[in-house]
Amino acid sequence: MSSGSGGEPDAGRRGVLKLGIGALGLGLAAVPAVPAIGYLLFPTGSKAGEGAFLPAGKRSAFAGAVPVRVDLYADKVDAWNKTPDVKLGSCWVLERDGALQAFSTVCPHLGCAVDFDAEAQKFKCPCHRSAFGLDGSVEAGPSPRPLDSLEVKEENGLVAIRLVRYRQGVAQKEPV
Amino acid sequence: MALLDWLDERTGIRAATRLMLEEDVPGGARLRYVFGSVLVFLFMQQVVLGILLAFYYSPSATDAWASTAYLNDQVTYGWFLRGLHHHGSSAMVVVVVLHLLQVVFAGAYRKPREVNWWTGLVMGAIVLAFALTGYLLPWDQKGYWATQVATGIMGSVPGGEPLQQFVQGGPEYGNLTLTRFFALHVFVLPIALAGLLGVHLLLFRKHGVTPPDLPEAELQRKTQPFWPNQLFLDVLAMAVCAAVLVGLTVKTHGAELFAPADPASNFVARPEWYFLFLFQLLKYFQGPLQIVATVLLPGAAAVYLFALPFVDRAKSRAVRSRWAVLSGVGLLMAAVTALTAVAIVEDNNNESFQHGVEQAHAEATRARALAREGVPPVGGVAVFDNDPEQKTRNLFKEHCATCHTLEGKGSEEAPTLDGFTSREWLTALVRNPRDRRFYGATKHNTMEPLTTEQASDEELAAVAEYLVSLSGASAAASVDAAMVARGKELWDKKLECSSCHEVEAGKDSTGPTLAGRGSPAWVARIIRDSSQKDLYGDTAEMPKFADKLTQEQIEALAQFVATRKTP
Repeated sequence: MSSGSGGEPDAGRRGVLKLGIGALGLGLAAVPAVPAIGYLLFPTGSKAGEGAFLPAGKRSAFAGAVPVRVDLYADKVDAWNKTPDVKLGSCWVLERDGALQAFSTVCPHLGCAVDFDAEAQKFKCPCHRSAFGLDGSVEAGPSPRPLDSLEVKEENGLVAIRLVRYRQGVAQKEPV
Repeated sequence: MALLDWLDERTGIRAATRLMLEEDVPGGARLRYVFGSVLVFLFMQQVVLGILLAFYYSPSATDAWASTAYLNDQVTYGWFLRGLHHHGSSAMVVVVVLHLLQVVFAGAYRKPREVNWWTGLVMGAIVLAFALTGYLLPWDQKGYWATQVATGIMGSVPGGEPLQQFVQGGPEYGNLTLTRFFALHVFVLPIALAGLLGVHLLLFRKHGVTPPDLPEAELQRKTQPFWPNQLFLDVLAMAVCAAVLVGLTVKTHGAELFAPADPASNFVARPEWYFLFLFQLLKYFQGPLQIVATVLLPGAAAVYLFALPFVDRAKSRAVRSRWAVLSGVGLLMAAVTALTAVAIVEDNNNESFQHGVEQAHAEATRARALAREGVPPVGGVAVFDNDPEQKTRNLFKEHCATCHTLEGKGSEEAPTLDGFTSREWLTALVRNPRDRRFYGATKHNTMEPLTTEQASDEELAAVAEYLVSLSGASAAASVDAAMVARGKELWDKKLECSSCHEVEAGKDSTGPTLAGRGSPAWVARIIRDSSQKDLYGDTAEMPKFADKLTQEQIEALAQFVATRKTP
């Protein structure tokens, strides 16, 4: 089109310009938008990690069949912070047939903290009335699976427990 | 289209779009009209990027640096988005200036567009305020110190102290400074800019573009619609701008992030490049004259720009009739450019500055590497506690400095560990064992000094060399064999040291056995239990750390102490 004939409709040329605007506009939007997808999805999908054995105290503290509640401490990395010696979770520990057994205090139903009812000799969840036997099996309530048992290690009279969190609300015991 | 019809019937979206896009550009679309649109684009991109950054950034003095380092170095594409935001602010400053120059050149500040000129100037100032407030947010050395200068200037102006305290949230920098700067940067300034932009655009639509100085008939004939003719040029310019920004971001691998803000350090502070002219100006006005550079000259320039519509008395917009105004603005730009150039040249020729920059980069690299394992909750400079040596130093401070001195700090209840078991330390000890630097304050103070009659300085040096050769494999490599032989001869035949000290491992006598003395393994044994027979025996007073510290801690401390000697 010769310069200066702006007033006349020139549909073909304008169509090309409009197409150009659309294409360039999409490109401009993509510059932040495409990396933003990876950026915003970080770090979803990453696993919480194996869980390390954490010191739970002396073996002698767990003699007898009465469950003892133990808090487990370790360094915790939360995004940019690393906090030393943080309480990461708790578990119930009891002796059964001479061996130590540890259960996570997290109710497999919806994650409330499970108590021990000494009178009834049962673990009871205060939220939705799930009850568990000393072997962790479900005896009442909505919990879809037994209490989550945790790995126990004994060395030189000291007990260590591997703290793992499991998915709530499902029948299978899967680590989060 | 049915969906669009449905929507249009309920919202009138077609008419609204037409209202926005249908506008005549008298005289036709031109490249020099693009700057305003490019600024709108840049502002929108900054908003999007800013929101994305806020997904990871945490505005507190303990978290700001750590979260920025995390965002930049660990989050997927975090470096890219932060870099684009950083360079985007520079681009905004550049395009603001280009826009301003185009408006001045075209005479678009003149009647009836004065109010639009003023809203534009205020928006320009807001862009600078964005830059200033955003600079501090990473809470790194550069942002911290550069902003200190800015708020310091604020406080040095008569009556400026309350304002400084308000902006800082008190007399010094801290959490409140960050939350204030954050609130300004992400809420106050964007809302203010968006509001003014609305007014600016409405006024622009009211008055239209300022066309070239041509006869009315020719303007009419050349008229083109904004959509798509001018908008195409606008979008093309945006694309060029975006391409430059992406290129710059990739080339620089995003924005710099220096080590965490350390109020106790001496960082070579410089403002961002577009403030360098003010920084340079400040060098010429000192003491009571400082206000000339901080307030009077910049203020005069601002007043001049604001008053431009009144300063310009010319009858027409023609460039030749406005030479006075144009050269005034030209002079201002020339002065800013010259000052910026001088500042850059001076810094380039300033060796101590260059050295400082190098150090700052090394420090930044170290801090960011350490931040990858997580920053301790104390935040900021506590990242250096991740450094194994710093961890060991902290252990030393907690467990050892209550009795031992190191690097001039600590108590003198026990031997000083600076240069521990070095040649100098050994010779000084033998001459004066009861000095507080050595064993004077301990029960282990029964050794008699060796006088110069018993052994000359030269002989003693040979003995010290011999003792160093006993201390282990790594030390044995650095000794003078002839001196060692001489020292051994003196030890065996002339001196009486061996009546108390054994030189073979495992043998014990009244004084400590000297085999391996000063080696990391030997120091570790001392830390565990110094009362063993071949060590300090009955005279040992040092607590036994075998149960108090872990194996690794003891070994790290031993390594640390054993390597404190100056070669």
